[in-house]
Amino acid sequence: MSVPSTATSSGSPVESGARPARDVDVSVVIPVTRADSRPEEVIHGLSEELEARGVSYEFVLVFDGVAGAAFAQAEALLELAPGKLKMIRFQQPFGESACLAKALDVASGSVLVTSPAYLQVEPGEINLLLDGIDEGADLTAPIRHPRVDALLNRVQSWAFNLVMRRVLRAPMHDLNCCFRAMRRKVLDDVTLYGDVYRFLPAIAHRTGFRVTEVRVRHKAEFGGVGLFGIGVYVRRFIDLVSVAFLSRFTLRPLRFFGAIGGTLAFIGGVMTVGLVIQRLMMDTALYQRPLFLLGLLLFVLGVQVIGFGLVGEIIIYTQARNLREYRIDRIYE
Amino acid sequence: MSTPTEQSVPRLSVVVPIYNEAGSLPQLHEELLDVLGREVGGFELIYVDDGSKDDSQAVLRGLRKGDHRVRLICLRHQAGQTAALAAGFEEAKGEILVPLDGDLQNDPADIPMLVARLDDGFDMVAGWRKDRRDGWLVRRIPSIIANRLISWVTGVSVHDTGCTLKAFRMSLMKDRALYGEQHRYLPALFAGTGARVTEMVVHHRPRRFGESKYGIGRTLRVILDMLTVTMISSFSQRPLRYFLFLAMPFFFASILVGITAPRELLGQSEYAIDTLAVLAFMLPFMACAYFLLLGLLAELAVKASDVHSPHADSGGPA
Repeated sequence: MSVPSTATSSGSPVESGARPARDVDVSVVIPVTRADSRPEEVIHGLSEELEARGVSYEFVLVFDGVAGAAFAQAEALLELAPGKLKMIRFQQPFGESACLAKALDVASGSVLVTSPAYLQVEPGEINLLLDGIDEGADLTAPIRHPRVDALLNRVQSWAFNLVMRRVLRAPMHDLNCCFRAMRRKVLDDVTLYGDVYRFLPAIAHRTGFRVTEVRVRHKAEFGGVGLFGIGVYVRRFIDLVSVAFLSRFTLRPLRFFGAIGGTLAFIGGVMTVGLVIQRLMMDTALYQRPLFLLGLLLFVLGVQVIGFGLVGEIIIYTQARNLREYRIDRIYE
Repeated sequence: MSTPTEQSVPRLSVVVPIYNEAGSLPQLHEELLDVLGREVGGFELIYVDDGSKDDSQAVLRGLRKGDHRVRLICLRHQAGQTAALAAGFEEAKGEILVPLDGDLQNDPADIPMLVARLDDGFDMVAGWRKDRRDGWLVRRIPSIIANRLISWVTGVSVHDTGCTLKAFRMSLMKDRALYGEQHRYLPALFAGTGARVTEMVVHHRPRRFGESKYGIGRTLRVILDMLTVTMISSFSQRPLRYFLFLAMPFFFASILVGITAPRELLGQSEYAIDTLAVLAFMLPFMACAYFLLLGLLAELAVKASDVHSPHADSGGPA
């Protein structure tokens, strides 16, 4: 679900004065999701680089239901960098996608950079991301190389990205690093909700935007995060399944359910019919063949899965009449 | 973004989806202009470039140069033939829509005939490639089976629903989204909303340029599409009936077991075979019950939407 507008407006936006009339080149959006985050570190690091690059910039901090030390620190920063820092606070956590969606309303940059609330990579690498945009990419995503975290984390990250490449059919290598630069039009075209934030480069690629990847130097992870728990793996997998399902089959649910259900029903049907024929021809009693039961169950299961697909088709037919499968690039009149 | 003047609103909108057809485009364009130029009421020709990898787009830009009747829509990525047609229909201004394949297999010379037939009181005239110039096994047999099944279930006797060349009134597209593979099933879908649909034999020419873009792998997909299309075209007001229809075979299977083996089902027994009879009775019965429940869910989805609210069909303002 996207954030209901009433809920976000009940947050307390602390903006530095009125919305500036002039546009800036780069808006850096930082979703702050943990009370012990260190956004000031990111602001210091990145503003130095952006200053040196000679572009105008601003920071948009979105506190995702987080107050405490991080918020107090940032409020102090507000005075240090007048006009360059905007802050939004949600009263309860809505997730990074909602943070980015809300930040989009106040950010005035034509290019947006998203960054975690700690220095995950060397701040200087923002130049590589912005260079990519200058060279014509719509979104630049980082690949951390070499990685400096635990081997097991690297293995899980590699496996996650491998599976992601297969099911989403998008050639991305490091979706776990959310330090990215993108043109505004990419976000205008994507509905930000749930775990879309993480999958942005893959989704942008699938909707026809130019996505390039650049190698960046990895910094030691903040707080020395140990190994990921099993819960992280399960959540990642479920997110991947839902994103893959929605991005490939939203407008044709029966293709998905039908392929699974049809296969199951076919296997089950062949087993059942085969055994019945055997019974009639060769007198092999059915109760001696547990396979008969298996076949019957598979068939019924498969048929039911197809039934679910049909309900999906009805839902899409009735509810999603404004969805478009195409994106128009240009019209020559 | 140039807005056309009043008198330039055309009667015909010809929509041609293009994917890697650079070779056939010049001839196609010449034939189309030749035929359409003689049409009364004016026309517009809309090419939709579905993210071609060859230089189709450059060729199209060259062809339309200076001709305001020709429009070119470029999609950002390959979205498929249905989506390309949907994009063209969305942008079209004419009162009659004519979709046409970009591979020269359809003959533009058939267009005036189809359009003229609309004046006889029809809302859609579908092309029928009676003398089809494609391979039997891969293209024709699956297509014949699919067409028979569709006309049997939906009651629309159109021989060749997959033929892209058609002519129909723009009003049919009002409030209708086109997605998935629906462009193949437009006659059935339109007939489901009460449109008068007929067909005419059109020419079909063998492919001369480029490669065919389909394979045999689509047979399963055609079957699945058919399930969807029959449901949407004939049962979208009352999906429960469709699910009842699907549940029937399972209901009869269950009854059959019940009749043939009542003793095994109800009596006492030490034999495993009788347990199996219970399962053979219950499993189809359960499938049947699930279908009814799913049908009820579908009824809810329909009820919650405004697809069948009165104004949706009349075409009046909401």
